[in-house]
Amino acid sequence: MKLLERYPWLRRWETLLFVILCAAVFINISLSEHYFNIDNLANIFHLSIEKAFVVLVMALVIINGEIDLSVASVMGLSASVLAYEFEKGASLESAISYAMLAGLACGLANGFFVAYLNIPSLVVTLAGLIAYRGAARILLEDRSVGNFPEWFTSFALDDVYVSIPTLLFVLVGLILIGTLVYQFTNLRQAVEEGAAFRFRKPGPVGLVLITVLAAVLVYMLALSSGAFEATTYVFAVLYLISLGILQFTNFGRYIYVIGNNRAGAEYAGLRVKQVKMTIFVMSALMAAFAGLMYAARVGNIRANAAEGFELDIITIVLLGGVSIFGGTGTMVGVGLSLLVVLNLRNGMSLRNINDNTRASVIGALLILSVLIPNWAQTIQRFLPRTLSGDNLTLDLENKEARESTETA
Amino acid sequence: MNKLRFLILVTVILAVILPGVSAQDGDPIVAEPGQELNMVLLPKTLGNAVFDQAHEGAMEAHEELENPGELIFNAPTPDNAIPGQIEIIESAITQEVDAIMISANDYEQLLPSTQSAMEAGITVVTWDSPVAPEGEALFIAQVDFDETGQVMADMALSILGEEGGEFAILSATPDASNQNAWIEALQTVLEEDDTYEALELVDIVYGNDDPDDSYNEALGLIDSYPDLQLIMAPTTVGIAAAAKAMFDEGLCSEIAVSGLGLPAEMQEFTELGCAPQFALWSFTDLGYLTYYVTYLLATGAMEAEEGVTFEAGRMGTYTIEADPTREDALRVLMGPFSVYTEENIDEWAMDEEEMDEEEGEGDEEGEMEEEATEESDAG
Amino acid sequence: MRRVRYFIRVQQLREISLLLILAAVIYFFGREIEDYYTARMYNRIATQVALIAVIAVGQTLVVLTRNIDLSVGSIVGFTAFYLGDQLSKNPNIDLETAVAIAVGVGATMGLVNGLIVAYGRVPSIVVTLGTLAIYRGLLVEYSGSQSIQFRQLPDWIKTLPSEVLYENFGLDLRPLPAIAIGVMLVFQVVLLYTIFGRRLYAIGSSPEAAELAGIPSRRMIMLAFVISGALSGLGGFMYLARIGTITTDAARGLELQVVAAVVVGGVNIFGGSGTVFGAFIGVILISTIELSLIRMQINEFWKDALLGAFIMVAVLIDTFIMGWLRALWSRTELRRASSVQKVQSI
Repeated sequence: MKLLERYPWLRRWETLLFVILCAAVFINISLSEHYFNIDNLANIFHLSIEKAFVVLVMALVIINGEIDLSVASVMGLSASVLAYEFEKGASLESAISYAMLAGLACGLANGFFVAYLNIPSLVVTLAGLIAYRGAARILLEDRSVGNFPEWFTSFALDDVYVSIPTLLFVLVGLILIGTLVYQFTNLRQAVEEGAAFRFRKPGPVGLVLITVLAAVLVYMLALSSGAFEATTYVFAVLYLISLGILQFTNFGRYIYVIGNNRAGAEYAGLRVKQVKMTIFVMSALMAAFAGLMYAARVGNIRANAAEGFELDIITIVLLGGVSIFGGTGTMVGVGLSLLVVLNLRNGMSLRNINDNTRASVIGALLILSVLIPNWAQTIQRFLPRTLSGDNLTLDLENKEARESTETA
Repeated sequence: MNKLRFLILVTVILAVILPGVSAQDGDPIVAEPGQELNMVLLPKTLGNAVFDQAHEGAMEAHEELENPGELIFNAPTPDNAIPGQIEIIESAITQEVDAIMISANDYEQLLPSTQSAMEAGITVVTWDSPVAPEGEALFIAQVDFDETGQVMADMALSILGEEGGEFAILSATPDASNQNAWIEALQTVLEEDDTYEALELVDIVYGNDDPDDSYNEALGLIDSYPDLQLIMAPTTVGIAAAAKAMFDEGLCSEIAVSGLGLPAEMQEFTELGCAPQFALWSFTDLGYLTYYVTYLLATGAMEAEEGVTFEAGRMGTYTIEADPTREDALRVLMGPFSVYTEENIDEWAMDEEEMDEEEGEGDEEGEMEEEATEESDAG
Repeated sequence: MRRVRYFIRVQQLREISLLLILAAVIYFFGREIEDYYTARMYNRIATQVALIAVIAVGQTLVVLTRNIDLSVGSIVGFTAFYLGDQLSKNPNIDLETAVAIAVGVGATMGLVNGLIVAYGRVPSIVVTLGTLAIYRGLLVEYSGSQSIQFRQLPDWIKTLPSEVLYENFGLDLRPLPAIAIGVMLVFQVVLLYTIFGRRLYAIGSSPEAAELAGIPSRRMIMLAFVISGALSGLGGFMYLARIGTITTDAARGLELQVVAAVVVGGVNIFGGSGTVFGAFIGVILISTIELSLIRMQINEFWKDALLGAFIMVAVLIDTFIMGWLRALWSRTELRRASSVQKVQSI
């Protein structure tokens, strides 16, 4: 307990996820000789890259207190529009822009119904889930369209050899470490509130953590050239951008504030409707882009492309510590959760465990990751020591307190 | 269209006489048991009884060939069908297996993965449902796809009788490539052969291989077409759901159900008269044959070339041939259809039950009734 | 207007609005489809509605408490398979025992959900998204990838869906729709007139206030999940009776259909308002649209788009009608209040 008080970040959701990630990686290494192989590590991302793209924006949507169930259908629709236009003889460039326009239209529709007509997003996007998929079926019927130009498919399929992505990877690593430091110390208050700068050293555990991270990154760097597809690097960049938007901009702050207390945000003069509209448009555009990447990866599109992706995407976001009621969660958590889920899936896939069982394991992890800290907290509450004068207010505790009142 | 008819004829003839031809060419290639191969059997989805039968057949061959390696059986769930298959193939490449046997969910979308598997030196064989030729060594065709149309037309004719009548098709999903090919073959037969003039195909609907949807679509058909006399469902899920719908509505005496079905699932409906006739090939045999072919290819005993003859254990001799339905593609044609009626459904269902219990030890499958071949010869 | 007002309470406006939309939908399809107003069409819709309606009732109770149960599809699948397996092993099991088994298994699964949500303080969407996968995984493990075949079932369950309990003007009342109507009526009464029912509304309207008012929120929420599980179990029994052939994929994806029906039925997804009857109409509305689209013989590839569009339009119209009715309501209320004041002042 003393340790937990000394290092509050130890109690954070992200720390828990990091521990789970380490455990998952350790188990994977010990169970399969093929796991720690750069091609496989690249595959971890490659095989789920479209879901990963959408996860980034879904996190914003859920933090904002909404949900978007239509993403998988928007992916299917954009891929189908691409295929339809391309089949008709349009150039791929114009087909891509039509596909993105279709995504934009879906986003505007979702956003309009949710933000301006005040219909719950669950209802709107559930109807969208059916209708957008239907639109895709109208376009492609039972046809399958392929033979996209080489440059398009190679974007998702070919390994990148240039060293610029490697540099990007360094950047990702640096910023990741920077964020960890930023998140786990009181740097934030110091910067934001102009309080006395009390930079707390990460402490031994934090140092070990950062060293491990750095070591892994260096190792990956040494091997990464020629292993990862371009889409993976695009994902890295988009991850950084969304992390930046959510964690460091005013818009990001609005997302949290509105998700926490919509009425309050309105009274405070925030443009709630515009923010919600923007988020739904972002979500649909990202889904449309992910749909294009899916088309590039499988090289051939039918109207059923990406069907059923939505639950996986939402699972990853929720495991990342984003509360379904909005207002809490960080991009670091979502990123870690993505790594946890993808690594677990990959490890189980290497042991030839079937889809159903894999989904069960991840489902159990999802429940336990909230349940066990809750239990720990309950037990802690009965310990006399913590009952007397423990006034640590931590994000994780806040989150749980919020959730317990809201579920109860 | 004459060309197509000719092709059908050639195929049928080839299917019947090829074993004899190859015997003249020299001795068929025989597998040498005991070589270590890790193999993946990858059907379309989990939870479909026919694929479990294929698994049993493959396990039978696995034991027979005393392969000390592993036979991995894995498939995606239906809501993750194509990405799931891609993932399993990629994982198989990482695990450096020796061969993958795929029943593909899509003709083209799996290509990038199967091609990279082939580049990695893995033998890729498709069965039940192929991928494009550049992504496979060869395809084990359960039956000739054109023959499926013929068999369905024959069943429709024998159920409806000489005076014919209206019938409709209840298929799987609108983009299911196997079903679409079969339906197309059926339509060709109906158009070109005067024997089937009296049969009128009024509609094609899709139950998405979901029992509930198929049930509703079947009822929708009888509501929309008051004179409908037959529902033809070329999918095991659809035929069972349609038969159940007719049974529930007490319409078995008026509207018959036929198509492709599993004897064990259909036995009761056939005995009650809801599904007087239906057909299927043996998925156990398909799994067995697929395993044999893959084993021969992966051990290097056989090359995937046209005209090569080999022996597949208890199932006898087969020859690799050009696939008449796809360009530049090779196939091994298993065949034949078994047509099930009230007379023979009993023993079939019983056989299958024993198979379930003995984990694929029974090999009565070998003595197959060849009704379908006779029928198609006649047609 | 005033006369009408005595019969209608403000909470019932929602149902009225939904009934109007349902009538409009039926009128629309009646014009488009020949022989639409037949007993046959009614029978179709009745049998189709039954399964989803029963599960939607349980879902309504859960949603009222500001929770959601996404695991219903997997519970239906598991109970259908489990019951089918038991029936094929012991054909002597009779109807009552079979229903008891199904409800019991479903309730147990619901209890697990409820315990984790209420006492583990885990958000319900997290729990049930997890158990959605876990219960399906259990089914796959339990089944050993085998399937339940129609011929293995005892005769009474084979003929159950086609029995006719009551017939008039060619309209049959069959057992499965009868179960659905019974369940709907029972829980409508429970919600309106029992302490348990009123507490569910209280919890959903304001969890904090409910807690302060001394309502045992946790037990109530757990109970709602148990009931949802039990009704899904009953749904499993109905699924087995209706479909006959059960694979490990049974009822996959049912949860989205149920949630769609419940929200179209006007149950507020943020808890506290909505009725079982409304959800029931929501189910009928969606099933009517689905089955009518099948009957209309429109292009296969247009069905999904039209269904989605119909749902969206229904929700939109509902929003507007509700707004209009509310305005009308408050106006008459105001007038009444002012006339009462006048009387008093005199």
